[in-house]
Amino acid sequence: MWLPFLGLVFGLALGLLTNIQIPSMYENYLSIAVLAALDTLFGGIRAQLQQVYDDKVFVSGFFFNIVLAAGLAFIGVNLGIDLYLAAIFAFGVRLFQNIAIIRRILLTRLDEKRHKRTKTSIE
Amino acid sequence: MKRNMYTRITIVLFIIGLMIAVQYNTIQKPAERDTRDIWAIREELAQEKQRHSALLAEIRSLHEVVDRYEQSEKVNQQAALNETLNRLKLQAGLTEVIGPGVVLRVEPAPELIEMGYEIKEISPDLLTQLLNTLFKNNATNVSIDGNRVVQTTAIRDINGKTTVNSIPLSSPSFEIFVGTSDYKAAQKMYNSLQASTFIDSFYLDNFNLVIEEPIEQLQIPAFDQPLTNDYLAEVKKGD
Repeated sequence: MWLPFLGLVFGLALGLLTNIQIPSMYENYLSIAVLAALDTLFGGIRAQLQQVYDDKVFVSGFFFNIVLAAGLAFIGVNLGIDLYLAAIFAFGVRLFQNIAIIRRILLTRLDEKRHKRTKTSIE
Repeated sequence: MKRNMYTRITIVLFIIGLMIAVQYNTIQKPAERDTRDIWAIREELAQEKQRHSALLAEIRSLHEVVDRYEQSEKVNQQAALNETLNRLKLQAGLTEVIGPGVVLRVEPAPELIEMGYEIKEISPDLLTQLLNTLFKNNATNVSIDGNRVVQTTAIRDINGKTTVNSIPLSSPSFEIFVGTSDYKAAQKMYNSLQASTFIDSFYLDNFNLVIEEPIEQLQIPAFDQPLTNDYLAEVKKGD
């Protein structure tokens, strides 16, 4: 359980300590890629809670979403259309939805637990 | 199976963390961009070059001193030491200097006196600014109203009197002697002062700044007060 969290911390530490920077012209792509990655992450958590988690879907979704978002932004820049907005909008909405679902599932579980406890105490 | 899943999620989270950190770095500390154009870079290069040549000249003169010491080691060490001492005294402004230079006269504007204007003391700020400009234009020795300007000279207002080296100026009319390295430099100084805004700035304070033609033999007095070194300490023998 703690292993994924350790991975996140390790990645953050590595990035902050090595002080890697990207050219400012690629900043947009990276920000969209981060958004796509966060979307996939929360989608994965939601799927796990709903017990429909699939490893292949998660990993492929992660890379595919990143590439798609960055590609969309790239095409948008070249065509003069702010296509990255589409990616931001789509991922943003999904992110909120996923988090809302996660919240609900957790609340339901909490309720169930409490219910069970009161039941056992009555018995 | 479950272990495999955790490994993959860990890798994905590691990438996410790295991406977030890189994005954070890029936003927080953007690499400073060099926005200078060719001209600005050339000017900077010229400045550096000037410094380079000044340093080389200094190295050469120090080499000469070393040579002289080495040569005179057997003959007369005292003479070499005296020479160095005199050179350092000259640099510090402790000796009288005769050489090419420009004389500036600061006098109250006569028409304003006739109109009944009250001529006040010259402001230390204006004088300091003039001095800065003189040194920027390669002045080697400067004296204000007979007071030699050295490294520790202070121009300030003491009880309403403008003083140089704590000696009040014989305001309102006094002379500033500006010594230069050669006559050409004196001419250059004269021209740049004529082109500067100082004449107008002095007139704002009701003074006329008269810049006289450069002369070959200008006598600049020595600094006649004891030099105090608050921060320098004598090196002990053998150190």
